[in-house]
Amino acid sequence: MRKKHIPAPKDLLPLSSTLFHLLLALSDGERHGYALKREIARRTNGAINPGAGVLYGTINRMLEEGLIEESDERPDAHLDDERRRYYRITAFGRLVAQAEAVRMRELVRIADDAYGLPERA
Amino acid sequence: MKLYSLLLSLYPARFREEYAGPLQQQFLDDYREARTAGERCKLWLSALRDLAWSIPIELAHELRQDLPHSLRVHARRPFVMAFTVAILALAIGGATGVFSVVNAVLIKSLPFRDPDRLVVLREFSGDNTTPEAFHKWRATSPYLDDAVQVFIADMNVGGLSVPARISIAQTSFNFFSALGTQPILGRAFAPSEDVPGNDGVAVIGYALWQQLFAGDPRVQGSKLLLNGTPVTIIGVAPPGFDYPRKTSAWTPTAFDLGRFPNKGAAWDPFGRLKRGVTFAQASQMYDAEVARHPREAWMSGFPPPKLVPLKVNLADQIREASLILMGAVGFILLIACANVANLLLTRTTERRNELIVRAALGASRARLVQQLISESLLLSSVAAVAGLAIAYWAAKFATLAQPAKLASQKYTILDWRVLGFAIGLALLTGVLFGVVPALVVRHLQPSGDLARMHSAAPRSTRLRGILIAMQVALTLILLAGSVTMGRSFLDLLDHGMGFRTDHLVAMSVSLAGTSEQSETRKSAYYREALDRLRAVSGVESAAAAYSLPVDNMFGVGTIKIAHRESRPLLSNRVTPDYFRTMNMPLLYGREFTAADTGRVAILSEGAAREVAEGPAVLGKKITTSFDKEPFTIIGVVRATRYFSPESKVMEQYTLPLSQNPPDYATFLARVHGDPKDSLAACRDAVQSVNRDVPVFNAETLDQRFDETVTVPRFRTTVFLFFGGFALLLAIAGIYGVSSYSITQRRREIGVRIAIGASAQGVRTMMLRQALWPIGAGMLIGLGGAAWQGRVLEHLLSSAPPVDIAACVASAAMLAAVAVVSIWTATSRVLELNPIEVLKSE
Repeated sequence: MRKKHIPAPKDLLPLSSTLFHLLLALSDGERHGYALKREIARRTNGAINPGAGVLYGTINRMLEEGLIEESDERPDAHLDDERRRYYRITAFGRLVAQAEAVRMRELVRIADDAYGLPERA
Repeated sequence: MKLYSLLLSLYPARFREEYAGPLQQQFLDDYREARTAGERCKLWLSALRDLAWSIPIELAHELRQDLPHSLRVHARRPFVMAFTVAILALAIGGATGVFSVVNAVLIKSLPFRDPDRLVVLREFSGDNTTPEAFHKWRATSPYLDDAVQVFIADMNVGGLSVPARISIAQTSFNFFSALGTQPILGRAFAPSEDVPGNDGVAVIGYALWQQLFAGDPRVQGSKLLLNGTPVTIIGVAPPGFDYPRKTSAWTPTAFDLGRFPNKGAAWDPFGRLKRGVTFAQASQMYDAEVARHPREAWMSGFPPPKLVPLKVNLADQIREASLILMGAVGFILLIACANVANLLLTRTTERRNELIVRAALGASRARLVQQLISESLLLSSVAAVAGLAIAYWAAKFATLAQPAKLASQKYTILDWRVLGFAIGLALLTGVLFGVVPALVVRHLQPSGDLARMHSAAPRSTRLRGILIAMQVALTLILLAGSVTMGRSFLDLLDHGMGFRTDHLVAMSVSLAGTSEQSETRKSAYYREALDRLRAVSGVESAAAAYSLPVDNMFGVGTIKIAHRESRPLLSNRVTPDYFRTMNMPLLYGREFTAADTGRVAILSEGAAREVAEGPAVLGKKITTSFDKEPFTIIGVVRATRYFSPESKVMEQYTLPLSQNPPDYATFLARVHGDPKDSLAACRDAVQSVNRDVPVFNAETLDQRFDETVTVPRFRTTVFLFFGGFALLLAIAGIYGVSSYSITQRRREIGVRIAIGASAQGVRTMMLRQALWPIGAGMLIGLGGAAWQGRVLEHLLSSAPPVDIAACVASAAMLAAVAVVSIWTATSRVLELNPIEVLKSE
């Protein structure tokens, strides 16, 4: 039987900005796809506002890679729509998000050494 | 919302099944929030952008996931895979190779500025004798921005170690500016340079510049000797530029043809359409214009004047050949698809159990269909890569084999259109033959089928029948085409030119610009050359003629008999022994002899009939349109075809060469044995008379004849090759299906034999059943063959008419092949032991 290759968090870096934002948006708990989209748009002041196809494509990839998982817990029936799906971050997802943040911190450090960073861009 | 749901079906199956719900919900939420029409419009635009971006990504993602499974499936039956890939690679490769030619000839633009506005004025009859008249007409033309007068001539070029002939274009001054091509060195002609006396300049081709001047940039101002007349080189054309006909140099002497003593040919002028004038409008204006200039009587045999796009004019013959090839390759592609679909259908039926189990475990039909289509796409993609290698060689071959009319055009597969065509073809064929097995899956009923896993699928049997019928129909159409073409080609070779071309060698000379050109030397030169030719060992007889059949150098004139003018006739001048050497027997009278110093003439049978019936014509006097002094008729010969076996029989009058010796002539020698062996000796004998006179086009007459049948031969070869290929595919398809049906019906056959049927009887029954779809295919094919014949007649000027006998013969051939294939495939019935079969069940 073939062993499935389990990647290390570093193997998945760098992350696309949509994917990274999705991981960050799930830090507060479970959310459905539409809520994730709105949260990302809010956090980035609309700079990142993925379309539904791109959003669920990315979610699909995150599920396959074990970064997130589907949640069985549903809110109250009157608040819920059965077509919605809820997602939560996995422990591996957290590690990957941390690894990406560390990578970015390194990048910022190098940029600071090279050019210095102004207070505000 | 419905439209959005419909668009979601473009996503691959698994993604769609998982996310169609959330996607619809999200779109609905956004739609509810959008209050105004503008906001809804914006929402739709962003949704479409999102779909256009994400659908290809998801398709590629799932195809990549399906790939390992597809590979495992194909690896289980490597022979089927290899066979499928080979068939498809040949079909895709052939089609792509042919498309590369079509792309170069018919699609890609010509290397001229704004080439779509360039037109050729076929059979122009306006005033083009003086530069003033021509340029005045050009400047006032309501539909042309510019027009160029062109004549072409082969001329002797001096200054080379071996005397050579090159093709010269004698043009009006605006030749280069009208095409939008500028010399890479020096300049093009100036406006006053096409005035006689002012026109002693030339632009030379890149190759001639390299050959004569070793690419020396100081070539401007150097002299070039054309037919002994010097001209000053003022420029060098860009590499590969050789318009209008493999031209090596251009002179602005279109209105000064006497400058170089030569026999040039009129070439149709070309022009550039005015902006805002459509081709149809220009065509109408051209027709009205030529109608105002009645044609001279002798031109009545020529095609009528017509405005033609330059691209069409250049691609004429290649266009015809390319269309035939494209059609034949299209048929092969369809047959290959039917064949591969049949193979894959068999495989799918074998894998029916696996598919039923997967469906029972929850895989949707859409998912299974997608898996099957991705398997077929994998095959067609591998085939397309292999096909590109075949296309590369096909394109290379086409560059070598096609007429060099477009020498500056190279056929290549490294063009985005050709590569796009190959990719498109791979996708199309992959989906085409992948859809058929997928049809079986669409009708799988997991619950019911799980119980009948091992029984045959009736739907696939019907589908296989349809595929076989389609394959047989297409094969029959190609076969009928190849038999018709083959028969008409054999007829063509059979009736030939009206004279025998075997054991003859021919070579041409031009005395222009040489020391032999003077009137006093010409006759002596021809006499001396003939004497030397006759002295060559193996030469039976020799002669010379101004114009030879299968040569494009000819004269046209009329004869007058008592003030009555004949219809236009070919005029020729020949030496004694010409008719004997050509093996053209005289019907009455005699041919010219060395003793004929008077004014004598020989007529062809039809021309003679205009003077008098039968031998009474001998001794009668005629005058020609070029000469007022009468000639006495001394002989009558049978008329022959002149340009090719497809051309009409041409009536002609012939005068002795010595009466008015031309600058240009072709020597002929009838030899013993293989004429190729005598070719070099004959050429050397003529060359030895004067080393400065170029001897060219030394060929056997068979070779010259072969060139005239290039197009019909090419057509026939294409049809025979593809017809044969289709037949092979049909054999493989019919054999495969029959063989598979034995495996499928083992139990039924076992029972039949067990209850008393003979093995031969079962075999005959299977043959009868298998022949149904073949018979149906043949009926469709016969109808298709008749339709194809009409399409070909419409497309090709010289296509043979539909040959009913050929269709029936092809059908009989196909039927025989089918019966043998089925009979061989069913031979396994004889070995079947009913007890073992029933036990195993």
